[in-house]
Amino acid sequence: MNSREKEDYLREYEQLKKKGKPFFPYAIMKDSVMFCFVAAVLVIMSLVMGAEQGPKADPTTTTYTPRPEWYFFFLFELLRVIKPPALTPLATIGVPTICMVLLLLLPFYDRNAERIPWKRPIATTTAVLIIIAMAYLTYLGASSGSPTEIELETNPKYEQGKQITAQSGCLACHAIGENGAHGGLGPELTEIGSTLPRAAIKQSLIAGPGIMPSFEGLGKKDINAVADYLASLD
Amino acid sequence: MKRPFSKKPADAAADDALAGQAVVEMTRSEKLAKHKELAAHHGGEAGKDLAGWVDTRTNSTGIYTAMLSRKVPKGTNWFYTLGSSVMFIFAMQAITGVFLSMYYTPSATQAYASITHLTNEVFLGEFVRGLHKWGGSLMIILIFLHMARTFFFGAYKYPREMNWVIGVVLLILTMVMGLTGYLLPFDQRSFWATIVANNITASGPVVGPYLADFLRAGPDFSTTTLSRFYALHMLVVPGLMAALIGAHLFLVVKLGTTAPPWVRAARPEGARPVETVAAGVATADSEEVPVASAAPAEAEAPVEAEPVEAAPEEPAEGSGTDSGEEASS
Repeated sequence: MNSREKEDYLREYEQLKKKGKPFFPYAIMKDSVMFCFVAAVLVIMSLVMGAEQGPKADPTTTTYTPRPEWYFFFLFELLRVIKPPALTPLATIGVPTICMVLLLLLPFYDRNAERIPWKRPIATTTAVLIIIAMAYLTYLGASSGSPTEIELETNPKYEQGKQITAQSGCLACHAIGENGAHGGLGPELTEIGSTLPRAAIKQSLIAGPGIMPSFEGLGKKDINAVADYLASLD
Repeated sequence: MKRPFSKKPADAAADDALAGQAVVEMTRSEKLAKHKELAAHHGGEAGKDLAGWVDTRTNSTGIYTAMLSRKVPKGTNWFYTLGSSVMFIFAMQAITGVFLSMYYTPSATQAYASITHLTNEVFLGEFVRGLHKWGGSLMIILIFLHMARTFFFGAYKYPREMNWVIGVVLLILTMVMGLTGYLLPFDQRSFWATIVANNITASGPVVGPYLADFLRAGPDFSTTTLSRFYALHMLVVPGLMAALIGAHLFLVVKLGTTAPPWVRAARPEGARPVETVAAGVATADSEEVPVASAAPAEAEAPVEAEPVEAAPEEPAEGSGTDSGEEASS
């Protein structure tokens, strides 16, 4: 934007402003209508969805899989997309920081004097693509369901092992049936019993192969229950 | 007349003090008389005088005029209410937050119980907590829409670059509010999510580990962590946000709100085709029509879309303004 374009803009804006309406009451009126709308939406949200309390924080359970607030889902999903552990800091710190810096400095690198969206195709296309990507990642994060529940039907004999598996954070990286991380860090476990014998599953739980953490902390009894359950999946 | 500090012989100190007092009293009454004279000169009564007194010291009428009777440009539509709704939600969060803070105990052992009490026993407790909880989500949505409007309308460009920067800082602070507020209920979800957030912070380069240590306030998550998050959530970050919202608004008033970029004003002086069309539709304002026909440059100005857009949106307002403006001019 050169100085002539800046002058042109200011002159044009001055004229538009002259032809405008006073802020009070016209803009105030619209704002007030919008306030009422927003307040109504908020009251309905509060009444319908309420504010339930979860179970009390317990620092001794090392297996709870946390989920962030929905507006951080897209970052959460980014973590799953960027798989190699060496690149994890890139997903957690690198990408958000770069995005924020790019957002902050937008007026300084986008120096195009044009303001009409369809006459600046690069800016508009980029923004639309980013919005679609964020919406898609948010949808993925929202639809991956509760990380502490397995809906797959099981023999009641393995019910206890299923509960422990669900509560132990396995689903953060693995998928079992409809639940868990499809395309996550770890392989799908829906039919793990047909490819790995029970002993190998138990060994994996204790040793934590590759990037998988060791689940030795669960204790012998729970590990056996989990291994029994996983071996039954085929 | 003896001046209070002109001469002070040590032996007549008491006399002198008395005399000095008398002199001070005299000058005070003199001042009062002078002031009354001045007030009479201005022709002010008590009420008017007070308003005048405040006005001469604060220029409040000037500020009032600048804020309320400033003009918003032609073509302003409903998208321009998004910014003020974000501010409205911020105010709602502040008010509900104050009420929540009356019942909340920022202690690792009592936080959860204080929220149980608030939710189940306090009158309208769950409702107010719901307003605060969902208000955060709604605020994020409205900020997103407000930013999208600003982006697609090119409103971040000259001369409003600073306002974009302030706005992005406000977005970051809102996210910090979401993050710090998430821990406060102290249930499993908030506890472990905050640990993950803290670990992510610790993995950051250079300042990351120090920042994480500062937030955690100790080797483990404990009461000190909770009270630190609480202080950030209800004092530090909202204070910063309020100040930045003030700066944001100041610049909005100073620079004016933008018009939609496709609205153009460029046409000869005195011709007002767009508003005439709108007025013609709404009020059949016949005397304006010949003036509009005297606009030769109308063809090149891209105004075809404008009347279509303006007419269904605000027919009552459009006619109202036009007649109002005519009457005043």
